[in-house]
Amino acid sequence: MKLRSTSGRVRIAMTGIAVATSVVLAVAGCGAGGSSEGAAGKLTVLVEGGGKAEVQPIADLYQKDTGTTVELVELPYDGLYDRIQTELGAGKTSFDVAALDAIWLSAFSAGVSPLDDLFTDDVKSDLFPGLVAEAQVGGSYVGMPVWTNSEILYYRTDLFGDPKEKAAFQAKYGYALVPPTTWKQYKDVAEFFTRDTNRDGQTDLYGTDVKGAVETEWLATVSQTGEKTMVLDPKSGDVTVDDADHLAALSFYTSLLPYAPPGAAQLDWAGAQNLFYQGKLAMMRFWGHAYTQTPANAAVKGKIGVAPMIAGPGGIAGVPGAWYLSVPKATEKQTEAKKFIAFAYEHNDLSIKTSLGLVSRISAFESQAGVAGHENYPAILTTLKSPATIARPATPKWQEIVTSVLTPMLQKAVAKGADNAALLKQAKAQIEAIVK
Amino acid sequence: MNGLETRRRPARVILWTALAAVLVLYGFPFVYLLLTSFKTPLDAIAVPPQVLPSQWTLDNYVAALSKEGVVPALINSVATAVLSTAFSLALGVPAAYAITRYRTPSGRVFVIAALVTRMVPTIAVGAPLVETMRRLGISDTTIGLAIAHTTISLPLSIWLMSSFFEAVPVELEEAAKVDGSDRLQAFRYVVLPVVSGGLAVTAIFAFLASWNEFLFALLLTSVRAQTTPIVIANFQTQFGLDWGGMTALSAVYSVPVILLTLALQRHIVAGLTLGAVKG
Repeated sequence: MKLRSTSGRVRIAMTGIAVATSVVLAVAGCGAGGSSEGAAGKLTVLVEGGGKAEVQPIADLYQKDTGTTVELVELPYDGLYDRIQTELGAGKTSFDVAALDAIWLSAFSAGVSPLDDLFTDDVKSDLFPGLVAEAQVGGSYVGMPVWTNSEILYYRTDLFGDPKEKAAFQAKYGYALVPPTTWKQYKDVAEFFTRDTNRDGQTDLYGTDVKGAVETEWLATVSQTGEKTMVLDPKSGDVTVDDADHLAALSFYTSLLPYAPPGAAQLDWAGAQNLFYQGKLAMMRFWGHAYTQTPANAAVKGKIGVAPMIAGPGGIAGVPGAWYLSVPKATEKQTEAKKFIAFAYEHNDLSIKTSLGLVSRISAFESQAGVAGHENYPAILTTLKSPATIARPATPKWQEIVTSVLTPMLQKAVAKGADNAALLKQAKAQIEAIVK
Repeated sequence: MNGLETRRRPARVILWTALAAVLVLYGFPFVYLLLTSFKTPLDAIAVPPQVLPSQWTLDNYVAALSKEGVVPALINSVATAVLSTAFSLALGVPAAYAITRYRTPSGRVFVIAALVTRMVPTIAVGAPLVETMRRLGISDTTIGLAIAHTTISLPLSIWLMSSFFEAVPVELEEAAKVDGSDRLQAFRYVVLPVVSGGLAVTAIFAFLASWNEFLFALLLTSVRAQTTPIVIANFQTQFGLDWGGMTALSAVYSVPVILLTLALQRHIVAGLTLGAVKG
């Protein structure tokens, strides 16, 4: 009886599994996602999770105009790199167009088709010089910028507009309190606002943040010195990370530590953004898109102003954070894919109203001059147009250099008693070992 | 007796303290994830981190579940995991039974070879699998992904089931044969019911291997067969991490496996102790 009863349960379980499998097979045959293909065919476009919204309106209009279905495949940032690398390595791709981060272009350049015919003089003149330079790898244009970002200066308008603060600043520093434009002004303002506002003996308002867990802001500071060879020269392989400009940039960067919250070594983009939203920072250097995304419950909601990135001895500079549309050599739909990219360039302004609100054409940025809600555009425009703004070096090893050398170096540099020159020399040796 | 209990009391206190510490260590990340899913965006990334939300909200759940692709991905995850579990059991159970009962040299080589496949980095298998699935015409399909997941869970299933079959005395089958059963009937009516706990354990491990798998899902799916781990990872973008959305969807995604584990708890315990009484 016992045996029969147990085997009955097994029978029920097996039947259950069989039924579930049958149902699943039926579902699997259909595919839960579903899709419809237009009469004129289909294009598959790989995009990063945060960038899908940027491309969606362009894809919708393309489908409407041409009848071609554009399927956007959304993948996480790190996963997108792995997926593209795997498929390009296999020599066959499941996608016809891919949105590539600027720092990936050189790594994938061998697997994507040249887009030289799309880069006419008119096109180049409407793109930021840094982006045009970045798009060219090994003498060919391998990607068309689809949107770009740049760090800009965020500041508290309630503090900067306060007559008492203005007077106190004027009295202490001998010039007017305005959004800083130079290293010296930035440091002065940072020092001025670093204080204990509730008199409990603890500093609760800081002039700025110092990010130790991400490298891009220090790279922007490097460009602000006028440095033209950021970290290394990809052509010659010469590593410049320990030259005078890089040292000057690191010295300025770490000189802000007394006016920044503790824990700089672990501070990344999200952490800095949160400190600013909580009202703990008077200023922040951050990506331009965030201007339109201030949370409703942020302490500084409605009190945020933006300005171009600050200038060092070499002028205003940021790091272009662009994404490019590229066509894998392996796709059979070369013509259609290039047509879509040309269409995306033509209708770049459709991305103005997306969640990130980022575009790549100068004319698209300029079209919003004076438009309320787009005060970040002139700041981005000025920063990206500045001659000192240069792209990150076009080396396939860049990601490795950032992860294993630059970020750890910065984390050590923001520690007490760090020897910046020694750290940069050490970084140079590590980078040389990677690239040679 | 009382003296014995008094002597045992400090040991029990230490034991319970250690147990509580382990429980907190295991449980805290999930509890923190759960609490974060009810936080506002500002609370979620507060510096220093705050455990409890200052303001409880369901907004993250509403936003996460209304995000395009989330519901199809949940369906795909269930379908893929069920299929992969079925494949894994259908292939692994007979293989394990044959290995343990026939005890041939080739069987021993096979079982070791099965384990070796677990030592190959998944990414190394990924690229050839992409090409294989494309040639078979099952790229971006649930069946294709389930087959890929079976390559992960099958070696584990064979090893687990082998140990469970080892614990079943051969005399049981011999007795069944004396009563007129053939080998298949003995397997079906005698051995399988005895190892039902082991089957449950194997099934849940196979299910979990597929449920949480990321890399194959990333490489082999695009839109139609994309599973939830990919959608959860999509909350991490180049500009930051949407903690609220990610934790809300992660919490939702945890529910089925928690329920499954609770439902099969008795079998799992029985299965895990099956080999322990072998004497």
